Amino acid sequence: MPLGTLNHSPPPFFKQGATPLNKLIFFGSLSILMMFCDVRWQLTQPLRSVFSVALAPIQWLAQQPSVINESIQDFFENKSVAQQHEAIAKRALLEQALHSGQVDQLSLENRQLRELLDLKGRLSTKAQAAEAIYDAADPFTRRVILDKGSLSGVQLSSPIMDEQGVVGQITRVYPLVSEATLIIDREHSIPVLNNRTGARGVAFGESGGAPLLELRYMAANSDIQEGDVLSTSGVDGVYPPGVPVAKVIKIERSADSMFARILCQPTGRAQGVRFVMVLDPVGFDLPKRPEPENNKPIGAAKAGMSSAVSSTAPASVKAPAPANAVSSPSPVASPAPSTTPEPKVEVKR
Amino acid sequence: MIMPRGQQLLLPASSFFIAMSLFVALLFNMIENVGLLGNAAWMPDFVALVLLFWSVHQPQRVSIGWAFFLGLACDVHQVSFLGQHALAYVVLGFFATLIHRRLLWFSVPSQALQVLPLFAISHAISMLIRMSLSGSLMGWSMVFAPLLEAMMWPLMSIILLAPQRRAPDPDENRPL
Repeated sequence: MPLGTLNHSPPPFFKQGATPLNKLIFFGSLSILMMFCDVRWQLTQPLRSVFSVALAPIQWLAQQPSVINESIQDFFENKSVAQQHEAIAKRALLEQALHSGQVDQLSLENRQLRELLDLKGRLSTKAQAAEAIYDAADPFTRRVILDKGSLSGVQLSSPIMDEQGVVGQITRVYPLVSEATLIIDREHSIPVLNNRTGARGVAFGESGGAPLLELRYMAANSDIQEGDVLSTSGVDGVYPPGVPVAKVIKIERSADSMFARILCQPTGRAQGVRFVMVLDPVGFDLPKRPEPENNKPIGAAKAGMSSAVSSTAPASVKAPAPANAVSSPSPVASPAPSTTPEPKVEVKR
Repeated sequence: MIMPRGQQLLLPASSFFIAMSLFVALLFNMIENVGLLGNAAWMPDFVALVLLFWSVHQPQRVSIGWAFFLGLACDVHQVSFLGQHALAYVVLGFFATLIHRRLLWFSVPSQALQVLPLFAISHAISMLIRMSLSGSLMGWSMVFAPLLEAMMWPLMSIILLAPQRRAPDPDENRPL
């Protein structure tokens, strides 16, 4: 047998390296340590970024089969299908034209009213388009990976939306890609406002894993109907106010529970989302919260507050939220400021 | 050198081929995610399969260290907890080094039967971590993943050993 043609070589006598058990203990404890750093303290973001950048070319390669598949499908797409799509798009454009005419008029009216009230103008947020590359593999979380990262100016906790409504929120930012948690994720919550009644609430992803939202902590006798449209309330300092989120589809009121179980269908295409807009969180543009003044008598402060309570209340709740939303990359937008006032509102009724 | 009777003598494995096969396995896992099959728990994990194959066949080259770093790459790509796949692969690599001397004496189908528990353990670790840290239960469809991986073992031993089964080229190692 000539040299170098046999796979089986005798094991080396002295250079054995570490024993498998030692390696298992070392790498096993290292991975457990990393898991704790990841979950408890969120310290592993730099390591994740490094791996994510290193994996970017492989990811690009992995995308190619579906890209090619799509372009083939596009090529062979029927003419009638294309015409149908065009008709739908034209109809949507007409509807939007109607809306935009109203919006111009309303914003003019709004500006004049605001000038009358001497309030600051509404915040306009920057936005950029992004594309969802793939869903996270874990079947019980609802996350997507977007193709824009911190190099394109994506910020942590930015809301993402499609043409119909809010879809989710950015929860991790890497240099080239970013990870968004969808509103139907069971760990995600979003403060909402019932457009019909004006009642505020917090919508969570459905706990069973269905692609729905659940409006929790609404009293069983609260005024809510099937078909009510929920939009963002803007109290969290992350989502811009007035963007549609979901539509109530089912209300279960049971005698043994204080709260009603309210299921909502997201307005945006939360499942199978493809092209999204990444907005900057509104809270970053807000002015800093003023220092509390303690030298005023309580009576005077109360009298001053009550006159302007309708206009300043949301702003004063907004201010603490951004710090909360930025410091913790958890997908929960800001449960504390929005959940706590909520039961009080219900009690008053 | 004691070897199983009746087995073909193999050429030495090329390091480049080993690295490429692991890379391609990672690519296949990503295609699973990116393509239509995202969110499917029953899909086989190609990285675990190729990793176990090389840890059994080439324990001097591929073992627990490789398993750890490939696991981290999978964690980052699949947005799971950092270390979840790493721990699962490290345990897989450890068991592979424990059984590698014994396993290759068996026929390929019975090898597949013997690696089934290893895949099951690896998936169970990954599932337990996810359950304990996020509290979400996994679907029963996950049971199919180790079964599919074990069923692919004979296919892997054909594909990955193919370069080593070529006839030796006498010109490559001619002494003079």
